[in-house]
Amino acid sequence: MRIETMPTNFHPVTRRSFFKHMGTGIQGAALIHLFGQNLLADENRAVLSLLPQPPHAPAKAKSVIHLFMNGGPSQMDLFDPKPALDMHHGEPYSNKIAGEIENIKDAGALMRSPFKFAQHGQCGMWVSDALPHLTRQVDDIALVRSLYTTNITHEPAVYLIQTGRMITGHPTFGSWVVYGLGSDCENLPAYVVLDDPLGLPVNGVENWQAGFLPPLYQGTRFRSSGSPVLNLRPELQDPPEIVQMQRALLNRLDHLHKRQRPSQSKLDARIASYELAARMQVSATDALDISRESPQTLEMYGIGRDPTDSYGRRCLFARRLVERGVRFVQLYINGQIWDNHTGLAKDMKAACDRTDLPIAGLLKDLKQRGLLDETLVIWGGEFGRLPIAQLPADKDEKKAGRDHNKNAFCSWLAGGGVKGGTTYGATDELGLAAVENRVSVPDWHATLLHLMGLQHDELYVDEHGLKEKLTGVNEARIVKEILA
Amino acid sequence: MNRESEFFKLSRTLPFDTRDAAMIFSLFSLQLPFLILVFVLVATGQNSTLAETSGGTNENNSGAAFSVQPELTQHDIVPILLLRCTVCHGARKQEAKLDLRSRASMVRGGNLGPAFIPGKPEESLMLKRIRAGECPPQPRLIEATVKPMEADEIVKLTRWIVLGAPEVLEEPDVAGSLADKLIRKEDREFWSFRPPQPTKIPPVTPSDRVHNPIDAFVLQKLAEKDLSLSPEADRFTLLRRATFDLTGLPPEASEAETFLTDKSPDAYVRLIDRLLSSPRYGERWGRHWLDVAGYADCEGRREQHLPRPFAWRYRDYVIRSFNDDKPYDRFLLEQLAGDELADSEHATEITQQIEDNLVATAFLRMSPDPTWANLTGFVPDRLEVMADAIDVLGSGVMGLTFKCARCHNHKFDPIPQRDYFRLLAVFKGAYDEHDWLKPELNGFGGALSAGLGERYLPYVTTVERQRWQKHNAGIQQEVDLLKAAPQTTHTEKQIKEIEARRQPEPRIMALWDRGESSQTYLYRRGNYLTAGLPVQPGVPGVLTEGQTPFEIKPPWPDAKSTGRRLAFARWLTQPNQPLTARVMVNRIWNHHFGHGLVRSSGNFGKMGDKPTHPELLDWLAREFVGQGWSIKSMHRLMMTSNTYRQASTVAPRGEQLDTGNRLLSRMPLRRMEAEELRDSLLWIAGQLDETRFGPAEPVKTRPDGLVLAGKRRSVYVQQLRKQPASLLESFDLPAMNPNCLQRSESLVAPQALHLLNDTAVREMAARFADRVLRAAGDQPTRQVHYIYWTAVSRPPSAEEQEACLQILTGLTEQWTKQLIVSGKPSNLEATRKALTTVCHTVMNSAVFLYID
Repeated sequence: MRIETMPTNFHPVTRRSFFKHMGTGIQGAALIHLFGQNLLADENRAVLSLLPQPPHAPAKAKSVIHLFMNGGPSQMDLFDPKPALDMHHGEPYSNKIAGEIENIKDAGALMRSPFKFAQHGQCGMWVSDALPHLTRQVDDIALVRSLYTTNITHEPAVYLIQTGRMITGHPTFGSWVVYGLGSDCENLPAYVVLDDPLGLPVNGVENWQAGFLPPLYQGTRFRSSGSPVLNLRPELQDPPEIVQMQRALLNRLDHLHKRQRPSQSKLDARIASYELAARMQVSATDALDISRESPQTLEMYGIGRDPTDSYGRRCLFARRLVERGVRFVQLYINGQIWDNHTGLAKDMKAACDRTDLPIAGLLKDLKQRGLLDETLVIWGGEFGRLPIAQLPADKDEKKAGRDHNKNAFCSWLAGGGVKGGTTYGATDELGLAAVENRVSVPDWHATLLHLMGLQHDELYVDEHGLKEKLTGVNEARIVKEILA
Repeated sequence: MNRESEFFKLSRTLPFDTRDAAMIFSLFSLQLPFLILVFVLVATGQNSTLAETSGGTNENNSGAAFSVQPELTQHDIVPILLLRCTVCHGARKQEAKLDLRSRASMVRGGNLGPAFIPGKPEESLMLKRIRAGECPPQPRLIEATVKPMEADEIVKLTRWIVLGAPEVLEEPDVAGSLADKLIRKEDREFWSFRPPQPTKIPPVTPSDRVHNPIDAFVLQKLAEKDLSLSPEADRFTLLRRATFDLTGLPPEASEAETFLTDKSPDAYVRLIDRLLSSPRYGERWGRHWLDVAGYADCEGRREQHLPRPFAWRYRDYVIRSFNDDKPYDRFLLEQLAGDELADSEHATEITQQIEDNLVATAFLRMSPDPTWANLTGFVPDRLEVMADAIDVLGSGVMGLTFKCARCHNHKFDPIPQRDYFRLLAVFKGAYDEHDWLKPELNGFGGALSAGLGERYLPYVTTVERQRWQKHNAGIQQEVDLLKAAPQTTHTEKQIKEIEARRQPEPRIMALWDRGESSQTYLYRRGNYLTAGLPVQPGVPGVLTEGQTPFEIKPPWPDAKSTGRRLAFARWLTQPNQPLTARVMVNRIWNHHFGHGLVRSSGNFGKMGDKPTHPELLDWLAREFVGQGWSIKSMHRLMMTSNTYRQASTVAPRGEQLDTGNRLLSRMPLRRMEAEELRDSLLWIAGQLDETRFGPAEPVKTRPDGLVLAGKRRSVYVQQLRKQPASLLESFDLPAMNPNCLQRSESLVAPQALHLLNDTAVREMAARFADRVLRAAGDQPTRQVHYIYWTAVSRPPSAEEQEACLQILTGLTEQWTKQLIVSGKPSNLEATRKALTTVCHTVMNSAVFLYID
């Protein structure tokens, strides 16, 4: 791996690995020229770059689209039907699970789902009528119903699902992927975050932090409107002739500087980074320019109408970004729209209505363009919800919701290397806890890394003497059963 | 040891009461054989306590000899009670006058009688209350940040009571013994665990390149490859290199002139001395230390980040310490145990020194800390905070990767897990996971200073306190006057305005020993739910042989403080402590030469890098101690060496034979660090606000996410974990998780975008252009000269000058046209804009951003 804080273990871009890269042809010509000279030539301190790295093992998926459903979507109202809840609806249960309830004083009785379940697709996957559009894509997705986590509070649970640890300061899954694989796209950031203009999720920008990895590996926010990247253009643009002259001067001064300093390859790299910046101005704007997408495509994502427009745009941006070789795209929705402590029937449905069509459209669009095979799509949140009701202050059952549940939640995968149409794992009859084929968060992470061609126990950095990994020190199991 | 007397001492601690007669008897019958056994084992050195995986009292009872050990002892029970009960029935609070920290106090009981009756679980009050779910009381769980007892813990407690609550005596586990079974003799022979060895300065021929012994050591290694040092860098380069290295800013014009016109042989030495006495020196080198400490102005790890309103005092303390060249041993002593250096609580006058002692301890408070919030303030969360503090100390000061030994014996270095917990015990008087001061306004239990935060002490200097009192008294007087006067319609508003000027009480963010702490247990596999054997404070066994024994005594008569950290700090700063001096000279070297002699500056263990020049490292370490731990002496030594003064040019032979510059055949070319860059941009624009010290300058976050800092030096900019100033972040300002020992140098396009397009940077270019106009008038050659002198402290080369002049002419013409088109023709404005573009280009150029 390549990072300067780990001098004993890091494998810099050696000549061999460099030519290996070149053989695969995934590297831009400019960078080939540039990195042909070893960037480590002096000082033995790697100059960090996002040069593509070979995976540990061949993998189908080259990019990731992570649809992060922050808040904790309710498994028994979306993907995990529980007829027993219909039978026992209204029966008290909270005293049996008191230690598992965050808001004990609001705990109500067992509560059936307000949604109706049916089987869909050739695989016969159970999905509730809250997600009518996704039901048509179920043959492409592998659903895991037996995930569990370790904390019932949002912040630690979000840190865990994003970074493998319940505390901040560790690199997110996206940072690890970019650290492990680098980027195939010279003109765009390797890790792009499409956050909701309405606001940030819990933990804010820490959701895409690089932790103890250098900031290079953190996510870059692309804004949905205006200039997509900070400082992509000056607020007051100079006339093109001036820009031209400035670039010419900079180029000349930098070449004069370099000429007197032979074998300082980072100076070449720096000149290239300015060229790259110029190209990024064009490519980043172009990546988010959907004006030439067909009306059918816009329609497929629900763009141009409520309530799907905002999320639909981000889904379409995601497709356009992976199309251009961006390694990791992460989509967020504001606040905690899946955190349905109250008003489950209404509020969770609203969350579905905002995202269902765009996500189904994204899967369909990726597939029809042949991109789904090389893209890994991940859907899921940080935990699940309880089978009992959580009552509002006035104890009105019609406005009931569900409290957090760390013992069971659902997520699904689609795309490269995923066995579509699979339903894996099971919860108990009430949906309280995963009981069959349980999948821990480290298991989940190991599986995701595997799909990207990375081995969880091989991807590490030395941090103050400890080999820090996404999956931590515990054993992690790759969930082979959901792999193609 | 007289075991009989020991036993009776134990008995006397129990209340002699007829009711307890049966219990005493049962205890006697259970315990006596075991006590004998334990003592025999200790005496013969057979006691395998605290081995890697066993650790627990129950795991060793295979074999006939152990069959008499009680199935459960107090060491199985006390950790559970510490976890679940003692927050209300322990050191700080004894609700119902009940203390559950020891068998004796439990049997003594509280207002409602004994907590339990040995042998009679059904009659034991504590069991009844726990089983009924009354204790810990449900409604107060969150407030007290405890969790109810688990079923298996209740079973264990019940069983212990059934057995008569057996207790065993343990020999205290202390470091310093030569018969340490966990450390082998060979372990102590590893280079970094032996004190720095005296070394002979190697004779080198020809000796003309030897300015001081550093060069002799370096030349000796180079000669092995038939290499030598590069030629000396030119004076412009030396001026810029030395000034950035010591002050983080470009040289002042006057300094440049003084140095460049000084033809005496010691001109360069005098330059170094002047730079070392600049107040900017502490701002630069203090920043390096703040990286080690992991400085931040907020707690972290939660959605909202609780501010640390007084953290800046620590930052100022660090800067002042560097400027004062405070001896490093003293610097460490204050930061690790300042609270135990003087009795601040009873001092009649708080001097600057006493205040500094306390402020310094914030070094140990810098970890990201979420424990102010109830839901992230449980024991495991607290242990994370403590682990971070140990990690900072271990990696930053000792060069040891202690955190590997938190869950098991270190896999590569001779650090048994026991030693991790010994170290934890050293800090227990201040950092006790079972008796926690929260970094919040109204904590539970501590209440030293209700309303102002439990972690903030009031002992600022008497002078500052009086000034504050006087200020607020003045305000009170004004308010009283207004109130006494006839009321008008404005009175209320006026009073409000005056009240707004009232200043909050000055406080110190500190860490201090609060006396008796909870017993430290080794946590098997690092898990707080699986407590193993009790551990006493101590230092790593591998570093103890031949050292002054680790001796704990109260820091002053009748002190409440345990003195543990003071003992530790004194041990750590012994002149022949193997690591302390080596790690620090290596750090200083690292900041001057781009990497340490040991490249893994936080890991001097087996998995760390071997020193490239071991003799030089030892020589420097001994020199450092010999010169009174003076950091400035080390700068002088290193920077006046020819090794430091050589050019950074990569020669073909050097490139071939000294790849990675391990032999130091040249100086490295380096990019400015984030703060150097931002501060220099402001400085050349004439915009840098050099106000020193005091509360941080706040950052502002724009809706689009850009985080803007003001105009003060970056070290004084508010350090928020979630909102690092964007310019600094783009250029690799590290996140403090928990600290940073080696900054990274990345090279990515967003850096170019920031410098080219950011409004604040463009604004600075315009201010720079104004300066140029004021100083150089309208003469283009003079303008270009001024730009180069200001930005890179030298005249432009002929080619640079030609390039700039050519473009300057073109730009002026172009801007003149543009201005005519826009209907605002102005030659002056065209010149100004053209100059702005040239200034902006130089601010983007490698010649500015890189230091030779």
